[in-house]
Amino acid sequence: MSLTFTTLEGRSRGFYLFVATLVVLSLIGFISFAMSYIEGHKILGTSNVIPWGMPIIISIYLIGLSAGSLILSSLTYVFQKEEYRPIARMAVYMAIVLILGAMIGIALDLGRPDKTWRLFMFFVLNNMRSMFAINGILYGGYFAISLAYLAFILAEKPTATRAIGILAIVWASLVHMGTGAIFGFIAARPIFYSPIKPFEFLAAAMVSGLALLLITVMFVFKVAQRKFDKNMVFSLSRLLLALVIVLLVIVSVDKVTHLYSPHRDPTLWLLTGPFSWVFWGLQVGCAYILPLLLLLHPRSRKSIKGVLAATFSIIIGIFGERFVLVIPGTAHPLPFYPGKIEGVWGKAGSFSFAPAEFLMCLGIFALMGLFFLLGLKYLELLPGDESSEQIPVVAKNP
Amino acid sequence: MPRWGMVIDLDKCTGCQACTVACKVENNVPHGSPEEQTSRREIYWNKVIAATRGRYPRVKTELIPMPCMHCDNAPCVTVCPAIATYRRADGIIMQNFRRCIGCKYCMVACPYGVRSFNFKEQESKEYQRQDRPPDRTVWGPWPFPTRTHGVVEKCTFCFHLIDQGIKEGKRIGEEVVPACVEACPANARFFGDLDDTRSQVSRLLSSRGSIRLREELVTKPKVYYLLQ
Amino acid sequence: MNRRTFLKLSAFTGAAVGASQMTGALDTPAASPLSKATQNTDDEKWIATSCLICPARCAIRLRVVNGKAIKVTGNPSSRVSEGKICPRAHIGLQVLYDPDRIAFPLKRTTKEKGKGIDPKWVPMTWDQAFEEVTRYLRPLREKAQPHRLLLFSGLNTVSGEDAISRFAAAFGTPNLISGDGLDCEAEKSGHWMADGHYSNRAYDLDHTRYILAFGADILESGRPLTRFLRKWGKLRREEPNRTKVVVINPRYSVTAAKSDEWIPIQPGTDAALALGVAHVIISEKLYDQNFIHHWTEGFDSYKNWVLSQYSPKVVSEITGIPSEAIQRTAREFSQTRPAIALGGMGSINWPEGSTISHAIFCLNALVGSVDVPGGVIYQVHPKYRDMADGVQDEIARRGKIQPCLDFRGTDRFPAAKVVTNQIPESILEDVPYTVEMAIGFNSNFNMSAPGTQRWDEALKKLPYFVQISPFVSEMAQYADLVLPSTTFLEEWGYDHSPSESGYAEARIKQPVVSPRGHSRSTIDILFEWARRLGGGVAQSFADIGGDSKGFVQFRTAALMPWEEFLREGVWSGPQYEYKKYNHLFNTPSRKFEFTSGNLKSLLSKMKKKTGDLDCLPHYKESQFLGEREKYPLLLLPYQPLMHMENGSQNYPWAQEIFLPMQGMGWDNLAEINSETANALKLREGEEVWVESPFQRMKVKLKCSEGVHPEVVAVSIGQGHSAYGRWQKGMGVNPNEILGVDYDPVSGQSSFFNTRVRVYKA
Repeated sequence: MSLTFTTLEGRSRGFYLFVATLVVLSLIGFISFAMSYIEGHKILGTSNVIPWGMPIIISIYLIGLSAGSLILSSLTYVFQKEEYRPIARMAVYMAIVLILGAMIGIALDLGRPDKTWRLFMFFVLNNMRSMFAINGILYGGYFAISLAYLAFILAEKPTATRAIGILAIVWASLVHMGTGAIFGFIAARPIFYSPIKPFEFLAAAMVSGLALLLITVMFVFKVAQRKFDKNMVFSLSRLLLALVIVLLVIVSVDKVTHLYSPHRDPTLWLLTGPFSWVFWGLQVGCAYILPLLLLLHPRSRKSIKGVLAATFSIIIGIFGERFVLVIPGTAHPLPFYPGKIEGVWGKAGSFSFAPAEFLMCLGIFALMGLFFLLGLKYLELLPGDESSEQIPVVAKNP
Repeated sequence: MPRWGMVIDLDKCTGCQACTVACKVENNVPHGSPEEQTSRREIYWNKVIAATRGRYPRVKTELIPMPCMHCDNAPCVTVCPAIATYRRADGIIMQNFRRCIGCKYCMVACPYGVRSFNFKEQESKEYQRQDRPPDRTVWGPWPFPTRTHGVVEKCTFCFHLIDQGIKEGKRIGEEVVPACVEACPANARFFGDLDDTRSQVSRLLSSRGSIRLREELVTKPKVYYLLQ
Repeated sequence: MNRRTFLKLSAFTGAAVGASQMTGALDTPAASPLSKATQNTDDEKWIATSCLICPARCAIRLRVVNGKAIKVTGNPSSRVSEGKICPRAHIGLQVLYDPDRIAFPLKRTTKEKGKGIDPKWVPMTWDQAFEEVTRYLRPLREKAQPHRLLLFSGLNTVSGEDAISRFAAAFGTPNLISGDGLDCEAEKSGHWMADGHYSNRAYDLDHTRYILAFGADILESGRPLTRFLRKWGKLRREEPNRTKVVVINPRYSVTAAKSDEWIPIQPGTDAALALGVAHVIISEKLYDQNFIHHWTEGFDSYKNWVLSQYSPKVVSEITGIPSEAIQRTAREFSQTRPAIALGGMGSINWPEGSTISHAIFCLNALVGSVDVPGGVIYQVHPKYRDMADGVQDEIARRGKIQPCLDFRGTDRFPAAKVVTNQIPESILEDVPYTVEMAIGFNSNFNMSAPGTQRWDEALKKLPYFVQISPFVSEMAQYADLVLPSTTFLEEWGYDHSPSESGYAEARIKQPVVSPRGHSRSTIDILFEWARRLGGGVAQSFADIGGDSKGFVQFRTAALMPWEEFLREGVWSGPQYEYKKYNHLFNTPSRKFEFTSGNLKSLLSKMKKKTGDLDCLPHYKESQFLGEREKYPLLLLPYQPLMHMENGSQNYPWAQEIFLPMQGMGWDNLAEINSETANALKLREGEEVWVESPFQRMKVKLKCSEGVHPEVVAVSIGQGHSAYGRWQKGMGVNPNEILGVDYDPVSGQSSFFNTRVRVYKA
């Protein structure tokens, strides 16, 4: 049976309502950003102790999602796994939307977003020893590669697609390993400092990317009344289980290493201090334990609902993993001098909820949602609907 | 080429914090407020921390003034993507406000917590130093006429005084020193060329044992402490 | 959309992004391009003047650019401060440019007076203000009741003090109340008991090798602070022999942290310790035999008394200090010459303050540290040009001989020169007579005196009260009229410190900028009043310069040429002369007296019964305010360095780093020993009530290793309620809960014998 791809109809009232909501939320997010641009970051929740807040957490989360998504699409276009073809286009498009959201997030977090262009002055005005600068190359290139990737996919050029797909896997891995390196190379922050961080990030990217892909696919297919093969879902869920185990192993190695001196105190503080509930509850509970249980238990792993529950849990849990890296990682007081440091200089930082920050991040999500919906509507990403009136584009066999 | 460093004699230091105040005066560093202290947004180029050990009555609190360490192996320089912070040939770690994009990576990377972010636009435009004509060659490192929100700042070893002093042929470390060194009533702070064996800092470092903070991170800070 | 459209769209996006990268237009600081007009330094001046944030009045130089004061440095011409300044002097810029200063004379329109009641100030012109004040002053003279004018003198220049006392004398009121009674009067009386000089001592820090500091926070509240800070550096590491410093204090102060040894002591027992140290020195014959033999009187009775009563074992019981520490310290103190025993407010401002001060002072005699290099020395003051005797007409003469409102020199406070904290009772009870009018010269006693509520009540009762200060302080809140005075950077004056380096030094005050708003200097205000009052008062103010500048010029003409004084800012007296024993001691025996003949004769004149032992230094267990069972802890107010002594704390640079040992600012804390806190089931950082038998205050708790287990230490300087965006409503003022007690000899207020209890809020 030949597979065709069509666009989303997108003419129902529900669709327009959804789009309108997203537009409104994006605008609210933009207004929050405008306020922070005018007033300064004093309206956010960051401080000199915790300089990175929600926008950065969201950004690294989104980069992970994006890289994971793109790598998974290569299952079809590089490794020729036909069973995943129906969702592969969406995966690539999602990757594009997510990286766009991530880059917007990073730009929003900058103190001077009007100078964002400075992040792209590779080798000219950039210090290329900085992981931030290297990541500029990586993200910029990644965006370009994904665009080209999608272009070739939509143009139905299988050889070129395959070539660029291979490049995409490599580049996407580098992208998120690079993100991990941003943290992993910082010796001043014991919770960050580890050569395993790039791998931890890559594993988290795969896990979260696949989980998001699954949720999105199932949701979109349901709403757009497309059929999907349940076996595809279950085979992906088996892949997901394997990835979660890999991630769990990497994170465990990282944490156990850090429990030895000289990183013991901050790590113990992370595991037992004020942020421990995020670690145990969200990261370990939602991202590892619950999904493992759901994906191992004979009943749940065979039900769509069980898989959905697992992916949902992972989405939340991996967000918690990002949070628990950035916030406690910088909140722990720096030991400038031996002894108990008195007063503010010895106090751990605290991260407060700031409406403007929350609304900005909501705006990013809304904007991504908007782009995603528009993409579904105007690009042929969804597998063909047999009952539809539309003229499908016939996919040439690779 | 000199390699500027600082020596702080903790035995002479009286913990008075004149250095902190004088630095704020000289560099128009914004003052804080109760809310900013609670939310940890106050800006200090030099801070004095208290580190306590022991129990009553055998307690010991050391008061340690901490300017920017101007590390030879500065982690902040490594991580700045925009070359807004960079090591000058004479060892001073500069901060160029014009280039700074406010990504705050340097703040994450600094092990000494000496960097502060401008979370707000300063209301009072008194933060203009009318005695410092804008020399376009230093426009950028010099945060004037107004510092803006969204950029990171830190101690600069009063490079503007040093450079002016060199231009006028003065002896740096004796006739011209950073504001904190000049202000210290106990004469506990010293500034000079670490590579010049005739400088005061070299003499002090050879006379007594000295430490630097967080040596284990091998940042090679250029602020040395002589212990009490 | 088909793929072609998509491709076009992405191409366009890419181009747009690329284009914006090229434009440098985004790369400008938010400010507009630098305008040349504000950036030239055509008008740059360095002006020599002196500081007045504390009574040390150190010489400073101000850099003024385009009419704006931008930097404070020391004045190298001053040998007292050696070109250095303490941190507070830098903050003078914020004192000058305090955004909450008053610009006009203000008249009160709300009748009620009280904390939190808005006076609803209405501005008036100076002419109106002068007219009103003289309208109230004149009747007092006309009714021959000039003594009913009460004058408060807070922190003013010496020139201002001179003008105020001349005014008081000419007007005819003996009631000139300075803040000295809250400061170190007991220290002075203790010295006077030994050597007949009722004044602060100076210390020859340049040469001293050992400092035994009793309750003296010399690196935080010593005077002159700059000198102590400079000399600390010198004594520790600029001399071949490093000076040893030992600090005796129930609280681990900054000074204790920087010293070689901190000896926590049972509060109020410093006299016992001093006598215990004396015991060791005497019994081991470590005293300076030459000085004792030739220049002291009463050593034998002192010796017998000390040896019989104050063995290290006994003293150890009293003070809580191990006897071996007492012995070791005594031996080191007496064998490291020259050594100084330095008594500070923490040890001396107790009800037994005079004898405590005397006991500590005697230690200096034991080691021969009196008027020698490296020892205790006698401050010489500049001799200004004499003014013609003020005209004291009959009215003034009659007024001046009236008893003082503060009962100084009566049998209640026989040796006292001023009993500041007595005033509220005198006003409230109308003893010895009613007060008709009061004028405050930059005073803020209802914040700085123990028992602030009585001050508020008394101020409320005053029929007419004028306050002169640059801002509406807590005391000004009760005024009927507030006159904006200039800060020390905008006025003419001459100044010296009550105690500094031994040799005399005078420092000029000259305006570095023209007075802000419509403020006027205190001296100018007095000249104007004198003129308007006419008669004897006006005559007293004639021929002494005509205004503040003229007055300063007149008085300092005796020192050096005016132009030179303006330029240098400092006049230095001749080198200090040591060992003036032949004419130094103003005592019956003309020697240093262990048994105070001065006190004895004074007390007998007052017809008070005294035994010989009263005039010997002795330890008397302190009377505490509050019973131990109900109030188990003792309140210890202390003065951190960042406390500005000018009545205001509205200065962000001082506020944000207020307590360096606690690493915080904008607030203060109740500092309690961590074990004590545990026993009381109190946790770090929680709000607690600190309650005395009189009042209570809510404050955050700090569990500290640097506080005696029976003590609650709270810093002063916070708890302002009157004005100031950077101080109002922040922290607490421990003086509010202190009880009222005095050292009866000197009238010094006791600050440290109020008991408190602490419990969760």
